[in-house]
Amino acid sequence: MPKKLSGILVGSLVVLVSSISLMAPFLLPALRQSGVQTTFPVVAGLMIGLCLLIILTEIQNSVLTNQLIALLGILIAINAGLRFLENAIPGPAGFSPVFLLIILTGYCLGGKIGFLMGALTMLVSGLITGGIGPWLPGQMITAGWVGQTSGWLRILIHGLRWKDTKMEIAILAGFGAIWGMLFGLIMNLWFWPFLGTSSGIGYLQNGLLIENISRYFSYYLTTSILWDATRSIGNVLLLLLLSRPMIKLFERFRQRFSFKVTSTP
Amino acid sequence: MNKPSLLWVIWMFISLIVMLSMRNPIYLLIAVLSLSLVGSRLAEQRGRKGWLSQTSGFLATMIFLSALINTLFTHTGQTVLFSLPESWFLVGGNITIESMIYGSINGLLIGSLYLIFSILNLALSISQMTRLIPPAFQPITMIITVALSFYPSIQQRTLEIKEAQLIRGNPMKKLSDWLPLLMPLLTSSLEKAITLSESMTARGFSSRPANKQANLDLAILVVGTFLIFSGWMLSLYHYPVFVQRLLYSLGGIAIISFFIWTNSRKKITRLRKETWLKKDYLALAFLIILSVSLSIGMLWLNFNEQLTFSPYPALSLPKITLTGICLALLPGLPLLVLP
Repeated sequence: MPKKLSGILVGSLVVLVSSISLMAPFLLPALRQSGVQTTFPVVAGLMIGLCLLIILTEIQNSVLTNQLIALLGILIAINAGLRFLENAIPGPAGFSPVFLLIILTGYCLGGKIGFLMGALTMLVSGLITGGIGPWLPGQMITAGWVGQTSGWLRILIHGLRWKDTKMEIAILAGFGAIWGMLFGLIMNLWFWPFLGTSSGIGYLQNGLLIENISRYFSYYLTTSILWDATRSIGNVLLLLLLSRPMIKLFERFRQRFSFKVTSTP
Repeated sequence: MNKPSLLWVIWMFISLIVMLSMRNPIYLLIAVLSLSLVGSRLAEQRGRKGWLSQTSGFLATMIFLSALINTLFTHTGQTVLFSLPESWFLVGGNITIESMIYGSINGLLIGSLYLIFSILNLALSISQMTRLIPPAFQPITMIITVALSFYPSIQQRTLEIKEAQLIRGNPMKKLSDWLPLLMPLLTSSLEKAITLSESMTARGFSSRPANKQANLDLAILVVGTFLIFSGWMLSLYHYPVFVQRLLYSLGGIAIISFFIWTNSRKKITRLRKETWLKKDYLALAFLIILSVSLSIGMLWLNFNEQLTFSPYPALSLPKITLTGICLALLPGLPLLVLP
């Protein structure tokens, strides 16, 4: 119980720090002053990077076994291949096949494994495609959140006894649709400080939180909605068509991967 | 022969500090030119044809998009080109040259950041980048190594299954046609993973921490992060500078301690170590001295003030100083050592 509690506390702190870092220009009027704007991308990037390190440390100390290391390594290799395919043969606008495996891994094997699946898919595919850049920590933590939150879906679906029903697939598809949009929304928050906070969004210096958020959404709808919508639609189609047999496969292997080797003293 | 990865990492940090402080378009252009020369020299060595045209294309696209977005959505500036009706949502208002130039500067900055990392991707091999991950994250590194090792065989297996499906009359056109490819690939891969995990266990690999200090290490990392975050929050609300710097320093010490303690406890065998020549050690010493001087210059000698520029409220010529030109040339340092 103490281990679970410490995990929850660490997770909550990380969510708080990373959310405030991403949303800082909206939440903190002091950040909209021109003298502070130039340092904001660096500091926000540092905070997100540190939050990522905390989560990775916590997960590797708590759940990683040899079986899970091997399992994740192989699944990430498959997903990195899908990402390579996405770059080599681009689908329509923002369509991306990588979220299928991230969501199903988190759903079937737990939130922590799902987080590692998402974060390390971005890192490994970045290494393979030469895509290491300042966007990587933001991509890793956001893709990690996709996998982590899909672990919570399992609790919901099993609690409502919707396992092996059409509702299970429908909820997964809806989840994929939401994250298709959310991923772009969060990545925009990560990217825009580098553009200079006075461009585009045009924060109101003395504006209320609601006013600035509505300006951000108006800007988002004008520039990024199409890209993220195709990602959402792609996630829905992939989950509707492919998730049932894949969930059965993961459930079959889930037991085998939870086999533990222990030594007696 | 590849230069040691540590030299490239320090070069990357120096270039990032300089570029992120820079808003003067003349200095940005000088820096981008230096980076392009470094990148094209490296690309030639690595046999990467078309690198320069690809990156130039990306740079031009970023400058154009950033200028367009800023011009349409920001209506400040005194030099008005034309006006759009105020009733037009978000884009209504004056279209000014100042906002166009500000957007272009931001596009140039984003392009230069992309250039720095593109050069890093050229300079370092995948194994060099993987080795940069600290020993504290050894299980994570193991996952990455497994993924990178199995990537080619999984690609090969995918091709085999795809050919087998095509022979069996599967057109492989719709999304649902890909299920007969994905399922055998996943099944065989998961079986491989079980075999691999048994091999790892048989060879004595264990990913679990050997002692109870793992929780203490995590606590130190969390406290360090929180101290730095607190220092940042206090700096936004004009608390005394010594309090901010104290929090930053304590947070930095905690995080560095975390890495030193965890790295010292993880015993890792490194095969095929990087070769360090005498000139590499000299280059390392030079880069360390340069980093320290740059940090002092930025924090106490106001170097960053010499690199800033704003086209608002009215257009003006950017200032040029010798210090600024020298700083703008720093990203081009590898040209001195690359053959």
